[in-house]
Amino acid sequence: MKVRVLAMAALLLAVASTAARAADPRYPDWPCTQAKVPEISLAAVWAGPALDDVQNKWKDDAKVSALVTKLSARKTPLDEAERSVKEFLAGSAADKTANAKLLFAGLFDTLNAQRAQVMNGLERVSRKQREAADKIREESIQLQALQGATPPDEAKVEALSNELIWKTRIFEDRHNVVRFVCEVPTTIDQRLFALGRVIQQEME
Amino acid sequence: MQIEVRMMMSRMWRVGLLSGLTLAAAPAHAFIAYVSNEKSNTVSVIDTESWTVTKTIKVGQRPRGIDFTRDGKFVMVAVGDDDTIQMIDAKTQSVVDSLPSGPDPELFAQDAAGKILYVANENDNTVTVIDLEKRARLGDIQVGVEPEGMTISPDGKTLINTSETTNMAHFIDTSSRQIVANVLVDARPRFAEFKHDASELWVSSEIGGTVSVIDPGKHEVIGKVNFEIPGLRKEAIQPVGIGMTKDDKTAFVALGPANRVAVVDTASRKVTKYLLVGQRVWHMAFTPDEKYLLTTNGVSNDVSVIDVAAQKVIKTIQVGELPWGITIAP
Repeated sequence: MKVRVLAMAALLLAVASTAARAADPRYPDWPCTQAKVPEISLAAVWAGPALDDVQNKWKDDAKVSALVTKLSARKTPLDEAERSVKEFLAGSAADKTANAKLLFAGLFDTLNAQRAQVMNGLERVSRKQREAADKIREESIQLQALQGATPPDEAKVEALSNELIWKTRIFEDRHNVVRFVCEVPTTIDQRLFALGRVIQQEME
Repeated sequence: MQIEVRMMMSRMWRVGLLSGLTLAAAPAHAFIAYVSNEKSNTVSVIDTESWTVTKTIKVGQRPRGIDFTRDGKFVMVAVGDDDTIQMIDAKTQSVVDSLPSGPDPELFAQDAAGKILYVANENDNTVTVIDLEKRARLGDIQVGVEPEGMTISPDGKTLINTSETTNMAHFIDTSSRQIVANVLVDARPRFAEFKHDASELWVSSEIGGTVSVIDPGKHEVIGKVNFEIPGLRKEAIQPVGIGMTKDDKTAFVALGPANRVAVVDTASRKVTKYLLVGQRVWHMAFTPDEKYLLTTNGVSNDVSVIDVAAQKVIKTIQVGELPWGITIAP
């Protein structure tokens, strides 16, 4: 049991120290293997007319801003979102270009913000994980010392072992969640690009 | 005389197709594209008449380089994590055999006759030479670290291999299998393509963000194609795949995470147009009639169809995850 705890803690620290060696020195807290791209640039997703004249105006248009909220939600399946874009623009008649620009400006702002939020969250968790790893490292050294004492204080050893087990489990769970969440920024990129492409096709 | 007859027959065939008389036989002659999906370990089969995926074939792990045999009977696909090249029977659209490559094959090139295959093995710094008729390994050529791009000169005498780490295009004599020249290009050369008249070799540099134009006789860089897209950082422009029209007048260059294909006038070596395709575009293939150019977009998981004459994207087809390479039946 105690041996297992120590082995687990050791394994964990190995994981934690790999995570700490960030691939990109500019973003030491970035925990993902995917390269960090802080924000999506407009030109990477949009080859349509300039959006300078629409800026924040999409927020003032109730219909557009409601649609932006719906289309940006991850729970809206992408094909359904694409259909909604087509329906909205098909019903726009003379305002088609203007509406298309408003809609894309809204999606660009909203999804970029959503993406930034996810990335900040990842970095926050990554910092917490580093602290947790330090704590686990400290406590496993303490545990070793306790076990080495003669005679060992069995009650103390037991208590610290249990605590270490919990801390390791939380650490591991978080580690797995991080790996999963690392995929989210790409999923958002994909959604923004796909919807932008439909909007541009409908404008032609 | 013989040629005349063949031309006549081919014209009759086309007229028949147009009038719909030979409709029953037509599907066999519609173009078929095969796309390797690196992450889903599949190959998507696309019909270029309906522009739909008609079949998804399960292949080995990490399929990347993909090409038809010259006779059009098989599709070869490098499955890097299985250390082999699989052969897909184009008739049954299923994997029927494999070729003995080295470890982690990524990309390969075949000679004009379709008899010899040269395989770049990413992991052991070699190019494996395979006899395609006997499906047997003939030998290995030691090249630079991490061989990447592969192409053969139109006369079949020179094999070009680009290396990610040495940043060179290595010229290999196919008869002696020795490196005869090394040409330094910009960082991380990914892909090499000859003009059909063999007068120039184009090599894309993914990190350098350029395409080097090399005189294959003198082994010298004689020009560079540069790319600039307003609003995009330079690092986002990563040239990879190159497609050259048969008249050698126009080149198409895939720009990776810039999500665009550049249309380049080969005479002036200047970009005339950028086409927004899909996310992280890497490789491409023309239909044999050169009406369309298909590109693989790794992040949006789709294939874009470009109308070559109109220089316009006309369609998007969803395929598997992380589409990498593409080949179209001859």
